[in-house]
Amino acid sequence: MTESSMWVEKYRPTKISSIINQKEIVGSLRSLLKNTSEMPHLLFSGSAGVGKTTTALCLAREILGDSWREYTLELNASDERGINMVRERVKKFARFSGLDTNIPFKLIILDEADEMTSDAQTALRRIIEDTARHCRFIMIANNISKIIEPLQSRCAVFKFTRISEEDIVSHLEEICKKEKIKYNVEGLKTLYQYSEGDMRHTINMLQATASVGIVNEDNVKSSAGLAKTSDVSSILKLALGGKISEARNKMIELIKVYGMSESDFLKYLNEECYRIKTVHLSEMLKAIAKYDYRLIIGANPEIQLSALLAELGNIEK
Amino acid sequence: MMWSEKYRPKNLLEMVGNEEAKESFVKWLGKWIKGTKPLLLVGPPGIGKTTMAVLGTKQFGYDLISMNASDVRSKQKIQEILNPILGNSSVLGKPMIFIDEVDGIHGRSDFGGVEALVDILKEPTIPIILAANSDVSGKMKNIKKVATTVKLRPLPPRLMRLYIEEILKREGASIKIGNMIKMIIDSRGDIRSILNSAQALAGGFEPQLDKSYETHNIEESVNLFFNAKSPEEAQAILYSMRIDPREKINAFYSSIITSTLPVNILKDMLDVLSEADMLYGKIIRKQEWRLLRYLDGILSKLYHQGTTIKYSKFNLPWPTLNRIRWDGMAIKGLTRNLAKQMHVSRSTFSTFYLPYLLCCMKNKSLEMDLNETDSEIIQKEMALIK
Repeated sequence: MTESSMWVEKYRPTKISSIINQKEIVGSLRSLLKNTSEMPHLLFSGSAGVGKTTTALCLAREILGDSWREYTLELNASDERGINMVRERVKKFARFSGLDTNIPFKLIILDEADEMTSDAQTALRRIIEDTARHCRFIMIANNISKIIEPLQSRCAVFKFTRISEEDIVSHLEEICKKEKIKYNVEGLKTLYQYSEGDMRHTINMLQATASVGIVNEDNVKSSAGLAKTSDVSSILKLALGGKISEARNKMIELIKVYGMSESDFLKYLNEECYRIKTVHLSEMLKAIAKYDYRLIIGANPEIQLSALLAELGNIEK
Repeated sequence: MMWSEKYRPKNLLEMVGNEEAKESFVKWLGKWIKGTKPLLLVGPPGIGKTTMAVLGTKQFGYDLISMNASDVRSKQKIQEILNPILGNSSVLGKPMIFIDEVDGIHGRSDFGGVEALVDILKEPTIPIILAANSDVSGKMKNIKKVATTVKLRPLPPRLMRLYIEEILKREGASIKIGNMIKMIIDSRGDIRSILNSAQALAGGFEPQLDKSYETHNIEESVNLFFNAKSPEEAQAILYSMRIDPREKINAFYSSIITSTLPVNILKDMLDVLSEADMLYGKIIRKQEWRLLRYLDGILSKLYHQGTTIKYSKFNLPWPTLNRIRWDGMAIKGLTRNLAKQMHVSRSTFSTFYLPYLLCCMKNKSLEMDLNETDSEIIQKEMALIK
């Protein structure tokens, strides 16, 4: 069967009530929605693929109705170059008022807010205050400790928990049934293991596996290797084996051809270090931390990341 | 008396070079009426931006109010200084504002210095001239939008020589031809600096020419550095490389990364480059150019006796460079569109969406409505997956 969209979008919940596994959050959001005009700014935190962005989009739909797209500005801090870009776009969006309609306010969803430097976050404070009359912010972050205190205090904070294996598997089963694809439960469990609870990743993997054939353990294993995080894992292997030049070429391809951000690269590299079970873990993490810091200070990320690879290559010697 | 003061031009006609820029400047000032866009002079130091502004005001009967970028750091400050001048011009006669080094306005962007300046530039009630060394940064783009840009170029060596010979004739002095050429090259079209050097050379100061490395190009310098017999010699070569610090760091980076070195040495050298890059990052971010003096000190640690490092301009094989240039651009366009549709960042899309999407499309279970460039790169990438 030929599909025209990615399932991850097709099966994204559109109502808060159909969001999986975040019962407490759904409950308190419901009560906030009773008096929308008094809704505070919101801050959603939690790991990848647990429903933060989905919840924000659901809220936009429920508050702003059918024309929600018109009154919602979606920004992703990892894509925007600097705080000035954010300021400009927010300003422009806040300016056209559109408030003669019966919407209570316009919504600005700022995804990956923890990717912003603390200077940028400080500037964001002002932006939030300047536009508070007409706009509400929903900030989304993986790690709440990377959001500066003053921003946290301006928001109602919601901490999203990981989705359990049961919930993910039963959601996948539902999709499989609707799409009429062959699967076995082992296959679905394997999907969960590879994605480590990241729903959107699981669904993408499911769709790719289904395009190969039945969703069983073997097929899942082969499609799991597709994600670019497995390139990060081979880069780590090459580097640890002292093959710095090859590791570097691969890393540069990942960043400069595919557009993986430097900070994401370091994030995945860090996760990979835990996965490979090594006695040198602490030295490796120390090296990553050192160059993550230098990346922020320095001017040319490539030099910093290459230096990191060489330092990793020197550890097992 | 300092030659650079003695021979400072007395009027615009006396200024050497940059005829076109001078002409646009005179036209702008001559035809100035309320509402005419401010003028932005861009060019390297010492070629006459300030002189031009000062002479122009004199010749056209204005009173020059000149300020430096450090005065206009914050919104409050800039309004404090400029608003009274802009408001009641009669009290001060015929004022004109000159703001030097606008590219040096820095500090945290939420102070709003640039924004406040741009607001004022939008509705000029008196002539405003801005000067900057470079106009490429983001904030300069904002300023350029509301100003007329006039570029000044370094003077060509031929013109420099004519000019210097004329001055020497008037002074009754002479300089050896070798020193003259070296001096002209070193000055890089900066009149102020060449006048200073000419005065020093004519006064009998002889720089060492025999053991100087200053005429070497980057390639030679990097090779000489790594082949130096002693750390002192290496350091001397390093100090003589008068090139842009970014170029300097990159030249060493490319050369080191493409040489075959034991991992432990490679690690040490890249660590040094990483330090150098951090220093450079601090310099450009805070505009603290005085920190530049420490760069050579850091880089000199790259010297290791007995390593075989050869200069290399490029640090990646050609196929990779091409792939970055063409495929990278196409993928950027593709992911920008699709990432937005999926509500994720480009980076996340490339990592967790694109590979699966390619797989589905390859197996013909997914068909997407794409434009030509997007489908082209998708075809290409589909062929790459196993």
